[in-house]
Amino acid sequence: MQQTTLLSDPYNVIITGVGGQGNVMASRVLGNMLSEQGFEVTIGETFGASQRGGSVMSHLRISRQTAWSPQIPKAKAHVVVALEPIEALRVLMVFGNPRTRVLCNTRPIQPVAVICGDAAYPDGTEIRRAIGELTSDARFVDATDAAVRLGNPILGNIMMIGALAAMGGLPIGRADFKVVISRTMDADKVTANLAAYDMGVDMIGAKEQ
Amino acid sequence: MHVFGSNELVEDVLKTDLCVGCGACVNLCPYYKTWRGKTARLFPCDLPRGRCHAYCPKAEVDLDELSRKIWQTTYDGSPLGNHRKIIAARAGEKMLPGAFQAGGTVSALVTVALRNGLIDAVALTDRQGLTPVARLITDWREVVNCAGTKLMAAPTLAAVNEAVGQGRRRLGVVGTACQMTAVAQMRTNPLEEEDFSDPIALAVGLFCNWSLDTRQFQQFLSAKIDLAAIRGMDVPPPPADILVLTTDTGTVEIPLSQIKPIIAQTCFTCPDMTAEFADVSVGMFEGRPGWNTVIVRSDKGAELIEKARGEKYLETEAMPEENIAHLSRAAAEKKARALRMLMRRNLLNNKNGRHAAVRMPTEIVERILKG
Amino acid sequence: MSILIEGKSGTRHLLMGNEAIARGALEAGVHVAAGYPGTPSSEIIESLAKVCGPRNLYVEWSVNEKVAMEVAAAASFAGLRSLCVMKQNGVNVASDFLLHLAGSGTRAGMVIVPCDDPGALSSANEGESRHFARLVEIPLLEPGDFQQAKDMIKWAFALSEQIRNPVMVRSVTRLSHASGNVVFGDLPAVDAEAYFKHDGPALDPLQGVMLSYPVALKHRGQQEKLQQAVSLFEQSPFNTYEGPENPELLVITSSACCLYSTEAIHLLGLEERVGLLKLTTTWPLPPQLMENYLARTDKILVVEEVIRFLENEVKVLAAELAPRIGIKTFFGKKDGLLPTVGELNPDLVAGALARIFKMDYEPVAATYAAQAAEMAAKAPGRDLTFCPGCPHRASFWTIHNVLEMDNRQGFVCGDIGCYSLAMLPSGFSTLKTLHAMGSGAGLASGFGKLKAFGMDQPAVAVSGDSTFFHAVLPALVNAVHQQSDITLIVLDNSGTAMTGFQPHPGRPVDAAGNPAPQIDIASVCEAIGARVRTCDPFDLERTERTLLEMLADTPGVKVLVLKQICALSPEKKAKKMFEMRLDESICLGENCGCNRLCTRIFKCPGLNWDAAAGVARIDEVICAGCGVCASICPAGAISKKEVA
Repeated sequence: MQQTTLLSDPYNVIITGVGGQGNVMASRVLGNMLSEQGFEVTIGETFGASQRGGSVMSHLRISRQTAWSPQIPKAKAHVVVALEPIEALRVLMVFGNPRTRVLCNTRPIQPVAVICGDAAYPDGTEIRRAIGELTSDARFVDATDAAVRLGNPILGNIMMIGALAAMGGLPIGRADFKVVISRTMDADKVTANLAAYDMGVDMIGAKEQ
Repeated sequence: MHVFGSNELVEDVLKTDLCVGCGACVNLCPYYKTWRGKTARLFPCDLPRGRCHAYCPKAEVDLDELSRKIWQTTYDGSPLGNHRKIIAARAGEKMLPGAFQAGGTVSALVTVALRNGLIDAVALTDRQGLTPVARLITDWREVVNCAGTKLMAAPTLAAVNEAVGQGRRRLGVVGTACQMTAVAQMRTNPLEEEDFSDPIALAVGLFCNWSLDTRQFQQFLSAKIDLAAIRGMDVPPPPADILVLTTDTGTVEIPLSQIKPIIAQTCFTCPDMTAEFADVSVGMFEGRPGWNTVIVRSDKGAELIEKARGEKYLETEAMPEENIAHLSRAAAEKKARALRMLMRRNLLNNKNGRHAAVRMPTEIVERILKG
Repeated sequence: MSILIEGKSGTRHLLMGNEAIARGALEAGVHVAAGYPGTPSSEIIESLAKVCGPRNLYVEWSVNEKVAMEVAAAASFAGLRSLCVMKQNGVNVASDFLLHLAGSGTRAGMVIVPCDDPGALSSANEGESRHFARLVEIPLLEPGDFQQAKDMIKWAFALSEQIRNPVMVRSVTRLSHASGNVVFGDLPAVDAEAYFKHDGPALDPLQGVMLSYPVALKHRGQQEKLQQAVSLFEQSPFNTYEGPENPELLVITSSACCLYSTEAIHLLGLEERVGLLKLTTTWPLPPQLMENYLARTDKILVVEEVIRFLENEVKVLAAELAPRIGIKTFFGKKDGLLPTVGELNPDLVAGALARIFKMDYEPVAATYAAQAAEMAAKAPGRDLTFCPGCPHRASFWTIHNVLEMDNRQGFVCGDIGCYSLAMLPSGFSTLKTLHAMGSGAGLASGFGKLKAFGMDQPAVAVSGDSTFFHAVLPALVNAVHQQSDITLIVLDNSGTAMTGFQPHPGRPVDAAGNPAPQIDIASVCEAIGARVRTCDPFDLERTERTLLEMLADTPGVKVLVLKQICALSPEKKAKKMFEMRLDESICLGENCGCNRLCTRIFKCPGLNWDAAAGVARIDEVICAGCGVCASICPAGAISKKEVA
């Protein structure tokens, strides 16, 4: 039975990643899934110049009552969806608190500083440990590689939406996703997106059992 | 020999106008490039030691060490450097007349070396427009295309590095004193690489008093004549005191006094007039047009001369003592002048971690300065 | 088909602020919309372009903002409601015309929507358009949420027609590029007819000539129009107040700061102590409305972004009203409580409130903050860089190298577009100046005349294809006529890439996607007398040789067009040109003479450095298959295979 109420009002979700990962699209899809059900949704996005290889963030505010600030106040994120691991750390530093939950894609995207050798990319297990220590519930999925297997790495963002739904805490389900994706996408892309969503659900489900 | 890296080369040579543009650092890596007579580094490289620095004839050249490695003897500062004999020579009957400048000895030697397989390629200096460029030649018939002085510093050694990178190990090279110093450093495996093999089979040096700054010379000439019409250039022996340009429409004479301000400043720090680290060094024969002065330095050089003479590519004669003495005086004067300049610029035998352009034993410095 | 016209009246939709503005214009019956792309404004014109057919609407991406405003004004003169959209910088460009337009007046409603970018999230400055409204004396409206973004556009059109002058509706990044729920209103009928009546009495606003002359008369009339606007502002339903009848503190705010202020009051639980006046009619301020609220308290906090505008206006009004409302204590930017640089957010406003009320505001527990900061410190920062496969990386690689080889301390005057990033190490720090649209060529034109003073450094300017038409052309004409010595490099990536591939005069389509005459940049440059060469920047060798020759060539104006389509262009459909392979057995890593040229210097995000293995690798997921790195690897370790 799909949850219909919010655990907190407003309920604050941050989707973070790197320019080009489909961050904006993911936030729109999620926002529309909630708006369809009558929630007041506000999304704040940072894109433009920051899309060129920079860190990208979308702030979603979900409420039964009103529109909220498109920027979430410090430490008030309920859920952080990270399309890239170190972006999760960066977001938690400002918007996290011990009760924050995290869904994290494990595929790193090396920043220029790492590519050119000025900085090192932290070890994967270290990142997991850090995120785990900073949050109440941290899930890690390898969405990019799964999406590559599905034929297109960009579907990783949709997989993360599926995984987010399976994590619980948000009143969203597959039917909402199907409605939104069917409205916003060309028909030939709907099947692949639904498959990605289902794969995302399974990634969390498999871990639970 | 102190070998540093690219950053030191930029600081000590490129930024101080010591770079002569010989090409020794070009084509070793993607960072050094030569264009219109200037060498530039495109991006910083933080490797602590590099061949670029090791080969440079203007950075930490230890003449005593180099002499020991090349000639198995100490550097004594003698005016004409280590040599076996000095002879007069000119192209022999097998060489087509007119295709070369002065005596044609260099063209003859290179031709013979290529024809006999002593070398399988040679790095020469060609002109592109008025700009000297490096050219790697494998066909002896093309040698004469590169004949004739360019008067400007040339990146000839870029062609050596390129050829070595392609795996060539029997290379000839023709160049001025600074270039022969660089070539000598290339031959001594300065980075102590395990799989090193000397790629140079023949080094032919050219006497040199100075070279002109390519860009300033072009600018100077472009105000006077159509650069595209220039076919050749020469500085006839004293007392002529002129630069002669051969053009499509005749010759143009320019007083050397006008040329002097555009001599590359780095040339005033060069103590070597006769390319002391070459197998054989060739220059003009003052007072005898159509003939060259040839300093035979190594066994290899001597063998080549013999072969060339035997095959009638070269004609030789004894060199009058009087001419040798005159050459020696000129070379000694250049040495002393250069040392004074090096000392004035604080570039000789520096201590306390400061980098030098040239190093040599202090007693030799004193000997040269005494004259 | 777009939700903007499918959505029925009364239905509720999640819209981006820019889409809400577009819907507002549609509900107002707009018939002409013109603009120049610029973040965060671009989606307004884009959204309208998608529905121009069914809505009987003419939409254009104009060559620049001044022309866009002229195009929109022409429609107004001919009796059609028109919208003009730009980012803030565009208002600077259009302001000369705007000043005259405000004097001549308009006929059918004309609304100007500038989108400001406090914090310069995607700009090279954080200038503001609010000041222009006051400068040229036209009414200024600032919506405070997404619903207002739509509704106030409609209201602005009506206001413009009442006062017969343009009205400015100012948006900001956090409205334009944020999304919220919006309830739709009715769409009017689409019929419209244009006719420019000009033979009536000269001074008749609807039948005479459209001039700002005679100046004194027109200027006086313009000021009377403003007074009319003020009286309408007094009654505006969009100015709202929340809070107690007599608050301890009155917060006066506008625009996105309405949302921040609401949230800040909520965060501190000050709902019963603070009154919040959300102003949407911010210039000229309506004095009676202001008196009503100012009279309720002695302490006032003005919340706005960047430099003081509202705060000053409120203070002037309060001084005038002082005999009736008493002396007030003001908080805001003057006292340093709020910053005068960068954008605001709920925390900054909460911090200011906390200081006024002497409360503690520590949103993050100190221990958690310390722990998180320690861990986040290990996450390397993400500097901006050109996208994988971006032609600019290849172009600037060559430009940088050629200037080094040329060895005369030449430099590049930058311009506005994605290629502005070449000021950073990712673009090899090639740009040495960066100012407004077209300023690169203009500065170069000036530098190129300084030879007489001993300057022999080559002056190079870069320009994007869209920027070329926008503002580079006059500078280039100037350089040719003044016999300046410059080399202009046009980085032609076939569209206005930075803002989302909007067409420009060099493209064969218009805003609506219909075929349009294409103006060839190289031909234009040749026609004005420049020496022009064209290269593919991915052909590094040829581009390098060409540019070297151009710089060494005799003085004059030279133009190099570097033509290669943007890696993100929809035309490319993310298709790779080449399948890239890196042979690890050939890659010498740190041991080759190149010292990791590919990752240390070229540093395309498609390449990774595997420190453990000591080799470079290609990241298949990120690599765009442009093939350039194969030309760069000196060891020949990278190879490319054409994708069928």
